[in-house]
Amino acid sequence: MRRRSFFILGSLLGLSQWVNAKPSTEFEKEFKRVESTLRSVQEHMFPEGSQLPSARSINASMFLYATISHKNYDKDIRAFVLEGAKELMDREEGFTTYSKDQKEKALRAYEETNYGRNWLSRMMTLTMEAMFSDPIYGSNTKEAGWKAVKSFGGYPRPKRRYIGL
Amino acid sequence: MIYDVVIIGSGASGGAVAYTLCKAGYKVAVLEKGRLINRDDFSKDELAYSRRDLVTPNLFEEYHTIESKVDGKWEITPTYDSGWSFWNGNIVGGSSNLMSGMLHRMHPDDFRLKSKFGEIKGANIVDWPISYEDLEPYYTLSEELVGISGKFIPHAHEPHRSTKDFPQGSTKENDVVKLFDKSCKALGITPLVTPRAVLSKDRGDRHACYYSNYCGSYGCSSGAKGSSREALIKPALATGNLTLLTNTHVKYLSSDAKEVKSAIVVDTISGKEKKIEGKLFVVAAQAHESARLLLNSANEHHPDGLGNSSGELGKNLIFSGGGSGQGELHKDDLKEIDFDALMTTGLFINRSVLDWYFLDHWWYGKYKGGSVEFMFEHQNIISRARKNLYEEGRLVWGKALGDKVVKRLTEQKSIRFEIFNDWLPNDNCFVSLDKTHKDKYGMPVGKLRLEGHPQDVKVGKEIAKKCEKILKKMGAKNIYSAISSTAAQNLVAGGCRFGNDPKTSVLNKYCRSHDIKNLYVADASFMPTGGSVAYTWTIYANAFRVADHIVESLKSKA
Repeated sequence: MRRRSFFILGSLLGLSQWVNAKPSTEFEKEFKRVESTLRSVQEHMFPEGSQLPSARSINASMFLYATISHKNYDKDIRAFVLEGAKELMDREEGFTTYSKDQKEKALRAYEETNYGRNWLSRMMTLTMEAMFSDPIYGSNTKEAGWKAVKSFGGYPRPKRRYIGL
Repeated sequence: MIYDVVIIGSGASGGAVAYTLCKAGYKVAVLEKGRLINRDDFSKDELAYSRRDLVTPNLFEEYHTIESKVDGKWEITPTYDSGWSFWNGNIVGGSSNLMSGMLHRMHPDDFRLKSKFGEIKGANIVDWPISYEDLEPYYTLSEELVGISGKFIPHAHEPHRSTKDFPQGSTKENDVVKLFDKSCKALGITPLVTPRAVLSKDRGDRHACYYSNYCGSYGCSSGAKGSSREALIKPALATGNLTLLTNTHVKYLSSDAKEVKSAIVVDTISGKEKKIEGKLFVVAAQAHESARLLLNSANEHHPDGLGNSSGELGKNLIFSGGGSGQGELHKDDLKEIDFDALMTTGLFINRSVLDWYFLDHWWYGKYKGGSVEFMFEHQNIISRARKNLYEEGRLVWGKALGDKVVKRLTEQKSIRFEIFNDWLPNDNCFVSLDKTHKDKYGMPVGKLRLEGHPQDVKVGKEIAKKCEKILKKMGAKNIYSAISSTAAQNLVAGGCRFGNDPKTSVLNKYCRSHDIKNLYVADASFMPTGGSVAYTWTIYANAFRVADHIVESLKSKA
């Protein structure tokens, strides 16, 4: 299956004009609109009190921003992350203010759609990347993610992010 | 400056040719599209090396188009759309930097598959114009120069060797091999120690393996891994005869009717074009890209591409048949060995099985099988954690996810096997030029039509069943295998077959173009059939052989 259509399939909005927009301008504005929704979803999926560190404690939302705003990040996925959040906001007005149970119900309903499932899966991947990447990326605080699974990054550890990609 | 020899690509074959020629005193230029990442710059950054395009081009800028059959019709998908990259390490040393280095020599019968086993309908099998005897000295030379460690165990399907054993003993092994060996023996299977392009002891300025736990997909930080960069390019540079031009992408070769005159290159940083002149040209850009370069070099003298009078250029591209499988050893029911020993990181399994290299069936008769490597599941943390995203088709999150991930990563370890069997060359597996898609330098991209032969999957499945039995005997749980005819993009060969007949092959037996006397192709492109092992050792060995021939021909001209 073609990836581009895979991202669009089932979305009411489709891939919008800022697929090709520069991260610094349009992207910033769009990101701000969905930022709290993204954070809220991450925190619901990776809550406090789990055997894994919470999304909040490892700076998962900061990692997500730094990752998708990077100039080399796949522009289709960048757009998909923002569109999926907007779609969720359209489906569930006031999602960020929902109770835990309401959020669970809303996300499970979103998961019933192909589009929603793909987007939620992407959000989980981005959060897991935050949790298990080298702390040089600003997440996996004090190696909390690694410690939880007793698995550690190898040596030498990176001295720079993406070594100047 | 006119170089004696200009080599396009610095991977396994380019490095072997550069090394030999520089040592012989010739002035060589190596043109490498990627940048130089030195030993000290490498790290075990999973995000950078395994999840982003750090060592390969951005697919929106440079890509391939893939033609595959969907519901009986050929459908074309650009790789920027599928995310299926066919780049394999565009840095100095190429993908040899990133290999796990589990290597084998090809078997003598792999050089004469047609005479030995006969034709297979729908497959373009031919014998090689050389024999194992021609290549054996170079397999041995590779052990020495590249640094291949191991332990020779005689076996009916193990090719004979001219030296008694490997120059260095094998790398250290995890305790799990006790369980593996015992289980194999109980089943009447012979476990062999896998030869590895990894030093077990210091040698020169290359240090022994330090068991980082992250070998394949990563550059080596001790120099133990036998990458072209460590083993060949560095010593070649030390001769003073090598000019290594990085960030230098070759658009096409310029030629007259008889000879290649220059490479037209673009500096990938500045975008500036220039001309690199040489007396002799060696293409070593990895199979599918080497064919593409020669096709893109078409001119009025060679309208169908350089060295393509046979019409065979780009045809009979091959990959590796087979697939992989896995099983989990759980803490609770582990016998024979200690769980903590199993969980010790870094040490290898280093085991392979050649028992099924040839198969014999009461009805089908004798036919070609394949080899199997056993290893731990790749230790990348993000990718292992991500394997727990779903349960019964639904996403798992919250505390349930935490329990699942922690249990999987701390209470079991997975053993994996990889099967290598012949990818039979056929009419529906080739590379040509895409008529509409161009890369960022304005050159047509390679269009790869990919179809496997049904025999490949049949053989792979037969071997997978036998491997699953080993894992079962070891006490593994959740055993599965996945055999398919999907092309493994990192195991590519063919496209410029060598042979004695200029009408049916692109290269002669020394891998020189039949049509153009100063043009060689040194990478895996020459292989008409691929054997049932990873290609790298054969690529190294053959490139040393080709290089010796080039030295002889240059000497005779002088």
